[in-house]
Amino acid sequence: MNVCVTVNGKVYERVVEPRLLLSDFLRHELNLTGTHVGCEQGVCGACTVLLNGDPVRSCLIFAVQAHEQEIMTVEGLAPAGTDKLHPLQEAFRDAHGLQCGFCTPGFLLTLLPFIEENPNPTEQEIREALSGNLCRCTGYQNIVKAVKLAVETAERGE
Amino acid sequence: MKHIDAATHTRGESQYIDDVPQPEGMLHAAVFGSPIAHGRLLTIDLDKAREVPGVRTILTADDIPGENQVGALIADEMLLAESTVHFVGEPIALVLAETPATAHKAAQMISVETEALPVITDPRVAFEKGEIIGATRTFVLGDVDQAWKDCDVVVEGSCEIAGQEHLYLETQRARAVPREDGCLQIYASTQSPYAVQKGVARILGLPHHKVEVDVKRLGGGFGGKEDQATHWACLAALGAQITGKAIELVLPRHQDMVMTGKRHPYSSDYKIGLKQDGKIVAYEARHYQNAGAAADLSPAILERTLFHSTNAYFIPNVRAFAASCRTNLPPNTAFRGFGGPQGMFVIESAITKAAETLEVTREEIQLKNLLQDHDIFPYGQQVHDANIRRTWQEAEKSFKLKNLQKRIREFNDNHFEKKKGFAIMPICFGISFTATFLNQAGALVHVYTDGSVSVSTGGVEMGQGLITNLAKIAATAFGIDEARVKVETTNTTRVANMSPSAASATTDLNGNATLAAASEILQRLKSFAVKELNLSHPERLTIEKETLLFEGKETGWTWQKLVQSAYFNRVDLSAHGFYATPGVWFNKDKEKGHPFAYHVFGTAAFEVTVDCLRGTYEIDKTKIVHDLGRPMNELIDRGQIEGGLAQGLGWMTLEELKFDDQGRYLSNSLASYKVPDVFFMPDDLEIKLLENVNNTWGPYGTKAVGEPPLMYGIGVFFALQDAMRAFRPEMPLTFDTPMTPEKVLMQLHRDEIEGFKTDSDVMADHQEQPVKETE
Ligand code: FES
Ligand code: FES
Repeated sequence: MNVCVTVNGKVYERVVEPRLLLSDFLRHELNLTGTHVGCEQGVCGACTVLLNGDPVRSCLIFAVQAHEQEIMTVEGLAPAGTDKLHPLQEAFRDAHGLQCGFCTPGFLLTLLPFIEENPNPTEQEIREALSGNLCRCTGYQNIVKAVKLAVETAERGE
Repeated sequence: MKHIDAATHTRGESQYIDDVPQPEGMLHAAVFGSPIAHGRLLTIDLDKAREVPGVRTILTADDIPGENQVGALIADEMLLAESTVHFVGEPIALVLAETPATAHKAAQMISVETEALPVITDPRVAFEKGEIIGATRTFVLGDVDQAWKDCDVVVEGSCEIAGQEHLYLETQRARAVPREDGCLQIYASTQSPYAVQKGVARILGLPHHKVEVDVKRLGGGFGGKEDQATHWACLAALGAQITGKAIELVLPRHQDMVMTGKRHPYSSDYKIGLKQDGKIVAYEARHYQNAGAAADLSPAILERTLFHSTNAYFIPNVRAFAASCRTNLPPNTAFRGFGGPQGMFVIESAITKAAETLEVTREEIQLKNLLQDHDIFPYGQQVHDANIRRTWQEAEKSFKLKNLQKRIREFNDNHFEKKKGFAIMPICFGISFTATFLNQAGALVHVYTDGSVSVSTGGVEMGQGLITNLAKIAATAFGIDEARVKVETTNTTRVANMSPSAASATTDLNGNATLAAASEILQRLKSFAVKELNLSHPERLTIEKETLLFEGKETGWTWQKLVQSAYFNRVDLSAHGFYATPGVWFNKDKEKGHPFAYHVFGTAAFEVTVDCLRGTYEIDKTKIVHDLGRPMNELIDRGQIEGGLAQGLGWMTLEELKFDDQGRYLSNSLASYKVPDVFFMPDDLEIKLLENVNNTWGPYGTKAVGEPPLMYGIGVFFALQDAMRAFRPEMPLTFDTPMTPEKVLMQLHRDEIEGFKTDSDVMADHQEQPVKETE
């Protein structure tokens, strides 16, 4: 089947098996390997990408379902062509919200629309937003801190 | 210093094995595993699978050119089964195909004929049948048999301690690439590159030097990739050797869970004797370790159970016995804590039971028996710098634990269905590999003419922050900016015969080896510089902030100038450093020695709230005082403490491994095996570091941090029990982990729920419907 998607602002057209998962499509067809696969069944959130701005689990979606739609992966987060980081990425670095890094892209993409929609989240709301993503390394404390840090930075308008 | 990989991790640019662009013509592998837990393998039917378009070949044990053996400590585990299978999922055949999907599809079309043999899943049954791996072990101090009569009370009981799935987020994987002249290059997600190198060489009948193993990073390991990463790398290597093509093997999550070993479940018995005042006089424990179907690292893990069988307490009379029992579960393996946590859980259970009998609190007995300097462990080592009391007192003081307990009592007096519970968990964990020879490490350091530095060691980065620490160590040693240092991949051609990244000792060992290499280069640089600068006493030269100082005064030379001039004067700017932990030894015949360089101490306190009508609970507070020595990278070390705690809490509460009595793994996906999420973690988690402690063993006074914090998690079990007792004081104390909400409910309302389904009914139901196996 033919699939035409915009990923991180770039249009891609490919012919794929109808049952090819979006996660495999991104990783193997487009070589966007920042999207990680942890559980293959929609539990861990490592494979989260944005589909038309909403977080979705790319291991639960067929590539063809994204036909003529917009996807954002972790590779699209930092300003392209620079070595700058997005403020959310900076916050994860500064609050040490990562260890092995395997879960990190999924957390970032879950959080991106959350922070945009909730510029002043409570701790409870932050935890709620994170509750669908698993991290086996950190114990989550620093991930929560990273979100708070990102929110504060945004508030200060930095 | 921030995690060195933070930028690439958050940009999605950090490469794990299968993120690296694949070599031309690479094939993908899928494993077919045994559908039954024990039986004779009569025939393997590969015909249908071979017909799947895109399948190149299918390999079985017959195709192995070298020795079909992956047992590390004992040669009792085949890479691919020959005539017998010993656990569900044991690899039997390897499909090589053009795509992963084709390989897996074909693997599902393989079938085998088997003749079932009796299945053992219970370690006590295995022990009775003589299914024991290696020797049983007994550590003895004093004379327990004599001591019982000096006790005012003696209590006995047993514990059933569950295993635990590692659940590294990156499943097991490896890529093998054939190189010229019969050499192989292996990229593996392993904590032990040398184990992979040895394993591949053994399977293929090659000398070690023809196998190069390279490891960039792991998406989590936790012990699960210490020994058990080797199998998958060997399978990929076998495929590469036979087809001449690059081979990649990535285990799907379900197969990773079914085919790999876990933390060992233990069945243990204890007997403890005390004086009326709470002083422990004698302690006896018998541990039956559920090793699974092969030795793997079980004998070494068993040993650590004994080393930690008295946790942070001094007990004058001890007899601790342990047996590694062979069952038909996947071979269990290393997991953060390495057998120590099970030993500690048992003594904590014994203390809890004794407190009930003596009608005192657990804490009274715990505190009374904490280690003091010069106390002797059952393994003969004296404790030094026993900071355990300091961490306990510090916790009591800074967290006002007495007030906390008072508030908990008040809460319980005023609430009916919700009850709060409290527990303290002190820990003492020995640092060093208990196999003394493993306490060695090498490092290779290069200084380039532009002043940049490259560091290679045998340590593997798996998220713990090792390479960040190594960069900092090298930069501090040279007196240069951290940005000048690059830590390379872990590669067997740069550092030979490396020990696994395990035992919490990776930074200690590899950091000290890095220091040794750096100081050799520094010595050469300084000898050269004193000559050039017409000075004497090279030892009075130092480098600070990239400037060369003599007796603290500027010489006018920068680091860069020093390096460049040295190069033009033909000074060697590379060095290999070596470190072997001094003073550690252990005599297995006597079961005495000095196995640990030092111990890590700490105290955690827990407050929990249990909904006694529903069985659900919350961990309200966790307060920890931890002894880190002098932390070098506090942010990173704190991350290790929190992560370790989370795993310990999960092990004690949510993470329930379910096997049926035919050895089939029921909780075989993330949908049925629950690990802590962000909600589960305590809202109020505070970690204080013990101040003013030094450690002569770790680089720059640091202490190892990887494993010990996991054992804090044990405390939550007893806090939950405390809350349950507040609701139902007559509830019998049982020590079966994990304390899932279901179990809380069942224990609180056993009588009322009679008639409802129990755990074993549910298990029986599962057995009636055959579980469909897809391997
Ligand atoms: S891989 Fe998609 S949710 Fe886990
Ligand atoms: S950092 Fe390793 S799983 Fe989250």
